[in-house]
Amino acid sequence: MADRQTRTPRQQDRTPAEELLEELGPVDRYHDYESLGDFGMPARAMTDDLLSGMTRPGRFGPLEKVHAFWFAGASCDGCSVAVTGGTTPSLESMLLGAHPGIPRIALHHPVLNVESGAHYLRAAEQAVLGELDAPYVVILEGSIMDEVAAWRAGGYWSAQGEEPWGPDGELRPVSATEWIARLAPKAAAMIAIGTCATWGGVPAAEGNPTGAMSLMDFLGKDYRSVLGVPVVNVPGCPPIGDNFNETVAAVLYFLQGFGPLPEFDELGRPAWLFGETVHRRCVRGAYYEEGVFAEEFGDPECLVEIGCWGPVVNCNITSRGMINHVGGCMNAGGACIGCTMPGFPDKFTPFYKRPPGSLASTTASRMVGSLIRPLRKFSNNNLNREVRWDRQGASPSAFSREKSEPSALADVGHRFYDKVRRANDTGRNDADVWGKRDEAPAGGSPNPRV
Amino acid sequence: MCFKTLPVEFDERGNATLRGGIPNPYDVTVAKPDVALTEDQRRERIERLVAANGHIKDLNMDPVTRIAGALAVHVTADTDKQAYLDAHAQATLFRGYEVILMGRDPRDAIFVSSRACGVCGGVHAHAAAYAIESAMGICPPPMGTVVRNMTEAAEMGYDNPLHLYLLAGPDYSEVILKASNPELWPKAESWRCPNADVHGYTTMADLAAALNPLTGQLYREGLEFTRLSREMVVLLTGKYPHPENVVPGGVSTTLTLQTLNEFHSRLGKIFDYAQRMLAVWDDIPAFFYEADERYQFVGYRPTNHIDPGYWDDPYAYDATYENCNAWGEKRWSTPGVVIGGELLTTRLTDINIGWEEFVEHSYYEESATTRYETDMLGNPISPYHPWNKRTLPKPGARDWKDKYTWACTPRWDRQVVEAGCYSRLLVTAMAQKMPESQFMSATGSSMRFVIPKGESGEREVEWHAPVRWNAFERNRGRAYHYLFSQLVALESLLEAYKLMKQGETRVAALNPKELERAIPMDERRSVGWWGAGRGWLTHHLVMDKGKITNYQICTPSTINASPRDPWGQPGPYEEAVMNTPIIEDVSDPARFTSIDMLRTIRSFDPCMPCTTHAYTGDGEVVRDVNTCSCGAD
Repeated sequence: MADRQTRTPRQQDRTPAEELLEELGPVDRYHDYESLGDFGMPARAMTDDLLSGMTRPGRFGPLEKVHAFWFAGASCDGCSVAVTGGTTPSLESMLLGAHPGIPRIALHHPVLNVESGAHYLRAAEQAVLGELDAPYVVILEGSIMDEVAAWRAGGYWSAQGEEPWGPDGELRPVSATEWIARLAPKAAAMIAIGTCATWGGVPAAEGNPTGAMSLMDFLGKDYRSVLGVPVVNVPGCPPIGDNFNETVAAVLYFLQGFGPLPEFDELGRPAWLFGETVHRRCVRGAYYEEGVFAEEFGDPECLVEIGCWGPVVNCNITSRGMINHVGGCMNAGGACIGCTMPGFPDKFTPFYKRPPGSLASTTASRMVGSLIRPLRKFSNNNLNREVRWDRQGASPSAFSREKSEPSALADVGHRFYDKVRRANDTGRNDADVWGKRDEAPAGGSPNPRV
Repeated sequence: MCFKTLPVEFDERGNATLRGGIPNPYDVTVAKPDVALTEDQRRERIERLVAANGHIKDLNMDPVTRIAGALAVHVTADTDKQAYLDAHAQATLFRGYEVILMGRDPRDAIFVSSRACGVCGGVHAHAAAYAIESAMGICPPPMGTVVRNMTEAAEMGYDNPLHLYLLAGPDYSEVILKASNPELWPKAESWRCPNADVHGYTTMADLAAALNPLTGQLYREGLEFTRLSREMVVLLTGKYPHPENVVPGGVSTTLTLQTLNEFHSRLGKIFDYAQRMLAVWDDIPAFFYEADERYQFVGYRPTNHIDPGYWDDPYAYDATYENCNAWGEKRWSTPGVVIGGELLTTRLTDINIGWEEFVEHSYYEESATTRYETDMLGNPISPYHPWNKRTLPKPGARDWKDKYTWACTPRWDRQVVEAGCYSRLLVTAMAQKMPESQFMSATGSSMRFVIPKGESGEREVEWHAPVRWNAFERNRGRAYHYLFSQLVALESLLEAYKLMKQGETRVAALNPKELERAIPMDERRSVGWWGAGRGWLTHHLVMDKGKITNYQICTPSTINASPRDPWGQPGPYEEAVMNTPIIEDVSDPARFTSIDMLRTIRSFDPCMPCTTHAYTGDGEVVRDVNTCSCGAD
């Protein structure tokens, strides 16, 4: 298997998906739902049917209904959890069609649907057969494992459901990988959610026994959906729920004709979400600028020297937060470990250790910062005084002596600064100042111009 | 004397020794539990019934939905006698996290093992931190432990309602009741909820409608409250799941007064909600028990529970194995084992040395060793103990008599125990050792709680240990555990305010440079005892020369989803399904939905992502694993 893992895509004549399908052979038998009865369907209806009355046709766009198949490969379900936390838009509001322009979404999700067993996978069977009543997208959470290896050993790494696809039509466990391989050719879009599905993630880390890989690796560079789209990637471990929900919504708004074409970057990430490094919008970024760094866990300053990779990681969590705009790694004191990146985890370990490359930049920012910080403090002291207090020469706050009266030297400095600030604002243009009463006290500016 | 099966006895100082004169004392043919029905007898009985009866169905429910992760349940159902004759639980996913951890820097264990489960979002990170700091001898400062308690209590605030309303709740909803138990609906419409004044639903039918998936008010409110609790978690951890702030020796949270105040303002909303939640999950069992007393046996199992405790005393916890019995018993939730309704021990060392994992029916190769014969205190441990095991993944064909799942078979004293958040209530109530609190107290058979005032007034409630543990009591226990955890959040928050007043705001013992220097080069063993939304969680760690040489995770769902053990005792899911009567109307066998089995399985809150695992003895084995598992190179 080591060999299977290290071949470059160029060296392969077939994609791993093609290889698996060839190994498994074609399928032509499907469940007999008559004989299955209601087993596993306690509501005697699928979630799709239960919600069909809830969503009304919309005013916008050509799409009325979309099926969304959610599959879990080598997954921890953390992406599902993240998606249930999303609020812009929320999962339930999308499913209930609460937003103008959202078509009816028939979600087939193992954690949410009411039906179990073969009935749960009925729609996926129909999709394989090409008999589904609407276009479908496939969402993969978790990495793709090398099921060829497990299959040759007579088993599987990750299975979801059984199909009568054994040699004599007997039921056999069907791996999530196999479902993906069979569903991809006719899908309207293949969406990978989370770092495992987008790049490989922890299950694909060095030393893994399962040959785990990403959805892109599995389907190959030439893969295009029926809409001509390569694999779409929303990374993060876990992803921010709203990054995924918003991407889905943005694609739907585009398809419905009113949203702009969502841009994806060279790795298939939503460009408007992953175009910046997480450091650029970090709440601690200014500490970096001033050359002040945390030394202990829990310190409020920039975390680069205690292991933060934020300056070189594409992510938006510091501006978007984790849930309802609350949280965010560095916002709360957590150093960035690069969980949105293809290099995660192996290019970021050992954790809690300063990235070696930060030495040059932090030294530079310390030097610049040592100059900037005192100047800023100087101005900040002045701005913490009302002009009235300047004129009185005393601050009325009884709290502390911290904002003590400026020294004579500082006072001269502030006056000079004010002169510079007002160099182009002499007040000599003869504006017609109306409504000002002569008897009004000359308050406000220490050097009133009018 | 807590061990019945294993030949372990105790001297007057409480140290364990092996009873002398027994060759191979841990051999599975030597120390055998009392088994009511052997696997062969069970199979014979089924074959006899199948021969005599045409109403027996052999069915595999794959996948079971509305659980976390991948689970399939195979049942042999007799629709005529309305019984499940046989059941097999299959975990259908393997990822190999422990294999990936082999040979890595111990500092990587927190972030890597966290990815074992995204549903129990933060618990693995914490268990790993406990294991690492125990191995390295780092004791977190009080504020570090308090922040962990706050985080993990808030996590339960997400976990419990997610299960009760999104996963299990629909099984009691209008759409499912009307379809699967139509005979109950007229009663539901007329049955007045005893707690209507608290939750606001007049009849059971109103309540059931509110549980409808996606559209029901309780479903939607449950989802919202999971978000509120997740906000509380990410205030402290940045991210959920997979917290970004857990470090060996504490946390890296930047704690300000605003952090505590924001946590407080959210926690304040929860207590009104907890009152409504208890009212709902008290009324549901009341309705079902009254409608048909056979519901008492849906998901029934004997009272065999285990829990390693949860939420530490910040002043008692010192991260040592030597003192673990002392600091363990000071946890908010007391560690312990209950067998047959009797509390046998509350000592973490007893829990640890009685622990074994078997792989007879799992897709792994056997690899028990005698590398370690005792724990660090000289108490004997089994060759099947996590520190001794090198289990190797080996996918293969499914065979009910042989191997059929990726879960393995953990047993304590070779007896089948169950893990659940409700097990915390049971052990804590029985042990009566919990720290003093103005909100919580243990009576020996119940837990008393004072719910602080919110918009509704203060209220006292009591959870009574059930006579019969079944699906309904698990769900009810989970609702009370929600309250329990949120009161721990409140106590911990008050402690955090106090520490802040005292200026004790240090959250981690070491800074990153000191941490790097503290990595020991000699061989160390440790265990992180922690908990998840489903109860028990342990990470067993062995490290040597500064690297991880053995890492093993045991999760509550591994325990509950376990297959048969070497003596044919079924795992908790399997046993509970076999005890479940088929109450739904099956006069037309085609209408058999298996709802009673589904209610049983879901009442355990299965969480399969982290259930399956493998661990190896040393770096060498990683290559072995590659060789043995795929046969392709």
